[in-house]
Amino acid sequence: MFVILVYDFGEKRVGKALKICRKYLTWVQNSVFEGEITEGNLKKLKIELTKKMEKSEDSIILYTFNNTRYTHKEIIGIEKNAPTVFL
Amino acid sequence: MKKDIYIFNGGRLVRKDNTLLFESVEGKKYIPVNNIESIYIFGEVDINKSLLEFLCTNEIVLHFYNYYEYYVGSFYPRECLNSGFVTLRQSEFYIDYVKRLFIAKQFINGSAKNIIQVLRYYNSRNADLSQEIEEILQTLELLNSQETIEQLMAIEGNIREKYYKCFNKIISDKAFTYTSRSKRPPKDKINSLISFGNSILYTIVLSQIYQTNLDPRIGYLHSTNNRRFSLNLDLAEIFKPIIVDRSIFSVINKKIITSKDFNKDLGGIILKDEGRMKFVKELNDKLETTIKHPSLENKVSYKRLIRLEAYKLQKHITEGEVYEPFIARW
Repeated sequence: MFVILVYDFGEKRVGKALKICRKYLTWVQNSVFEGEITEGNLKKLKIELTKKMEKSEDSIILYTFNNTRYTHKEIIGIEKNAPTVFL
Repeated sequence: MKKDIYIFNGGRLVRKDNTLLFESVEGKKYIPVNNIESIYIFGEVDINKSLLEFLCTNEIVLHFYNYYEYYVGSFYPRECLNSGFVTLRQSEFYIDYVKRLFIAKQFINGSAKNIIQVLRYYNSRNADLSQEIEEILQTLELLNSQETIEQLMAIEGNIREKYYKCFNKIISDKAFTYTSRSKRPPKDKINSLISFGNSILYTIVLSQIYQTNLDPRIGYLHSTNNRRFSLNLDLAEIFKPIIVDRSIFSVINKKIITSKDFNKDLGGIILKDEGRMKFVKELNDKLETTIKHPSLENKVSYKRLIRLEAYKLQKHITEGEVYEPFIARW
């Protein structure tokens, strides 16, 4: 499935969240990640993130799609990081 | 579905924060380690031991190609799926000549039938290939009566020669005329594409075999001798026509790759960096294309199809379920 993950963490924990997300998804913008992920890995990601977060202060939003066929992505301004498998 | 990463630029690939980081002049790029199956390296990339250890724990296979697009080797991490039982059975099927011959025949059978399927497709479109199809079918009929692996190889060579001759009718661009198969180095553009495509397919199959209990060193059609891996060559035979050759036709006929993408080097013709990238892109798209699987009733990608083929072979040698090669139906 395809996931868009947005988080808003306190200054102390934001770096940790960034590093966790990088293991599973592609960074597209500050605090925004996207990418293909399996159900199992998504669960793992959620567990790792909730362990580090402060539930009373931080928040995570997850948008999940079965496929990206009916979605459209538009970028205005600069593209900070184009997701690609060719480097 | 895990992804493959292809690195064409020079730089450093390192382990950073428990994930992968590729640093090059263009900047830093983090690669989500949990979503990677294998990495193909074409550029000049620096690597250190801690990265290799990390790849090992994450079961990621690394494949290297040199400047002249030749396959250099693979970093094949410690087997994560060990099964002494499967290895034993696999060797048993190799040593028993009758059993080996059967599997080898199935590989050629699958390869030839897929070749015919590709030809039929173009026959119905713009090229008249009915005579060639007939000839290949006739040669294939001789397959069952053959008694040695060498004879099988001869039949396979025969079919392939006829098949490659058909390329001239399928490809409209006259710059890509096929005359004869030449390797190390390929003497013309079409041979260069075939060689490069095949060598990539071999490594793709190797990565898929890594995910199964099978040992890639024990092949059936390609004999297990001093070669490092041979089972991947066997399985690749089946998929060459439907993955590599179809990609070749589409990059040429859609004019994605033209004569400008080739260089004369090493006494042969090789692809330039950019052409290489375009071709790999096409191959990767093909591998990620999903089709409806006839018996699984599910959508599977071509890449997964290769893995399923390995599973079928594993079932054949362990559970006695007769191995039937995958044959494309379109």
